[in-house]
Amino acid sequence: MLEVNDLVAGYGKVKVLHGLSLHVEEGRLVTLIGSNGAGKTTTLRAISGMIVPESGTVRLGGEDLTGQPSFKITKKGLAHSPEGRRVFPTQSVKDNLLLGAFPRLTGARERGDVEGDLDRMFTLFPRLAERRAQLAGTLSGGEQQMLAMARALMLNPRVLLLDEPSMGLAPRLVAEVFATIARLKEQKITMLLVEQFAAAALEVADFGYVLENGRVAAKGPAEALRNDAAVRAAYLGHAH
Amino acid sequence: MNVLSQLIVSGIAVGMIYGVIAFSYQLTFATSKTLNFGQGEALMLGALVGLTTINFLIGQALGTLWAYLLMLPIVFAFGLAQGAVVEWLGVRQAVKAKSEAGWIMATIALGIIFRNLAENIWGRDALRFPSPLPEAALTIGPVRIQPMEIAIVIGALAIMLAVEIFNRRSIFGKAVVATANDRDAAGLMGIDTRRVITFSYALSSMTAAFAGVLIAPVTLTGATMGAVLGLKAFAVAIIGGLSSGMGVIVGGLILGITETLTGYYISTGYKDVPGLVLLLLVLSLKPSGLFGRATIKKV
Ligand SMILES: Nc1ncnc2c1ncn2[C@@H]1O[C@H](COP(=O)(O)OP(=O)(O)O)[C@@H](O)[C@H]1O
Ligand SMILES: [Mg+2]
Repeated sequence: MLEVNDLVAGYGKVKVLHGLSLHVEEGRLVTLIGSNGAGKTTTLRAISGMIVPESGTVRLGGEDLTGQPSFKITKKGLAHSPEGRRVFPTQSVKDNLLLGAFPRLTGARERGDVEGDLDRMFTLFPRLAERRAQLAGTLSGGEQQMLAMARALMLNPRVLLLDEPSMGLAPRLVAEVFATIARLKEQKITMLLVEQFAAAALEVADFGYVLENGRVAAKGPAEALRNDAAVRAAYLGHAH
Repeated sequence: MNVLSQLIVSGIAVGMIYGVIAFSYQLTFATSKTLNFGQGEALMLGALVGLTTINFLIGQALGTLWAYLLMLPIVFAFGLAQGAVVEWLGVRQAVKAKSEAGWIMATIALGIIFRNLAENIWGRDALRFPSPLPEAALTIGPVRIQPMEIAIVIGALAIMLAVEIFNRRSIFGKAVVATANDRDAAGLMGIDTRRVITFSYALSSMTAAFAGVLIAPVTLTGATMGAVLGLKAFAVAIIGGLSSGMGVIVGGLILGITETLTGYYISTGYKDVPGLVLLLLVLSLKPSGLFGRATIKKV
C-alpha cells in the first residue's frame, strides 16, 4: 500500500535520510523504531509531503506522490498524526474532527458517513465524547493525543502515519494508546507507527524497521526483531 | 454634558470604521502573519468603484438607496479580486523568495500604484458620494445623529459578525481558522493553505472596500482618502491586538471618540494626533496590543 524507495531527505543542506526504503502492506501495522534523532519524524514528514524529498520515491497504492504538497497527499488518502499532536487549539474537539474529514466534506474524497464516523470516534475515545464542545487547547496531553489520532482517522485513510502517540504521556495513558492501536489493527487499518517505546511497538506490530542515522539498520517481522540480540541490546534493554 | 454625549456619539461612527479596517488587517495577519500596508488604498478603490457604480445606477433612474444596495455586491466582488491580486503580486512572491521584509515593501508599493491609478482614473479632486439615506440629522434625546452614521455602525458590526459566523460554522471557515492556528497541521488535513491565504487577502480587501462605501457618504471620496484611514486603523489593530476581534472594536471606538474630543476641546488641527500618539505608546509599552498575544512577524 505504501512504498518508500531510496528516500533522501533533510532540512536545507542538512541531510537526515540517506536512502531509506520501507514498505507497508495493506492491513498491516508496521513500526519504525530508533533512537532520538535517527530520522523517524523526518521519514514521516517526507512521506506526507511536509518536506520535499531530495530523491527517492513515495508511492501510495502504486501512485507516485513524491514531492507533492501535503494537502494533495492527504487527499489521496494518507493521514499523518504528527509529532507533538498539533491539534487546533482554538477549535472545539468536534471541529478538529471535522477538519480531519475536510477532503470528505469538500468533495475531494468520497464522503461516506461523516456523522457515523464522528460517533465511532466518540465510541473509540469516550473521553473525547464528553469534551466534544471543549476547545482542543484546553485538553490534557493524553486527550490531545487521542484527538490527534481520531482527527487523522476521520480521513478514512488508506494509510495512517502515527508519530510517537505515547510521547509525554503517563504510563496508564501509554497503555491506553497502545490498546487503541491494537484495536485499530483489528479493524485492518494500515498503519506506520513511529515509537520510542520499542518493546511495546514491536509487541503490537506485524513488521518493524530499525532506523539508525537515517538508514535502515535492521528489519524483519516484529517477533524476529524482538528476539534479535543486537536490537534487544540497543533498544529493548532498558525499556520503560 | 450634552456636548460631551454629542461628541461621543459622533466619535462612534468613525471609530467603527477604524475598527472594521483594523479587523481587515487581522484577517491576513491571522493566516499568513503578513499585513497589507496598502489596506487604505483597498478602501479607497472600493469607495471609488462604488461611486462610479452608484452614479451609473442612479443614471438608470434608480433611487439612491436601491442604487446603493445594488452597488454593494459589485464593490464586494471588486474588493475580493483586488485583494487576491495584492496577495499574488506582492505577498506570495516575497514569501516564496524567503525575503522577510519583502511583503512590506511590496504591499506599500502596490498601494502607491493603486493610488496613482485612481488619480488617473478619477482625478485628484475630492468627489461627493450620493448618500443612500436622508442627510438630515435625527434628534435622539440630547444628541443629533445622521442616519448614515447609524448605518455605518450596523454595517461594520454586520460584516464582522458575518465573517465570524463563516469562520465558526462553515467547513471552509474552519479551514481558515485551522490555517491560522497551525499552517503545517492544516496542510495535513488536506487544506490548501496557500489558497486559504489568498482568500484571506481577498476577504480582507473586500472588508476594506465595504468600509470605503460605508464612510464615503459622510466624507469626501478621492484617491487620497485611504492613506490616513489606513494608518490610523493600523494603529487600532496594534492597540487592539492583531488577533482580537473585540480589541479592534474597543480600540476603534477609543480612537474615534478621542479624536472628536480632541477636535472640540483642543483644536481640529490636532485631530489626527491622538491615534498616532496611542500607536507610539502601545508600541513601546505593550507591543502585543491591549487584547492580543500575537506579535508582528519579526523582520
Ligand atoms: N526542522 C528541522 N530543521 C533542521 N534539522 C532538523 C529539523 N528537525 C529535525 N532535524 C534534525 O534531523 C535529525 C533527525 O530528526 P528527527 O527526524 O526528528 O528524529 P527522530 O524523530 O527519529 O527523533 C536530527 O539530527 C534533528 O536535529
Ligand atoms: Mg521524532
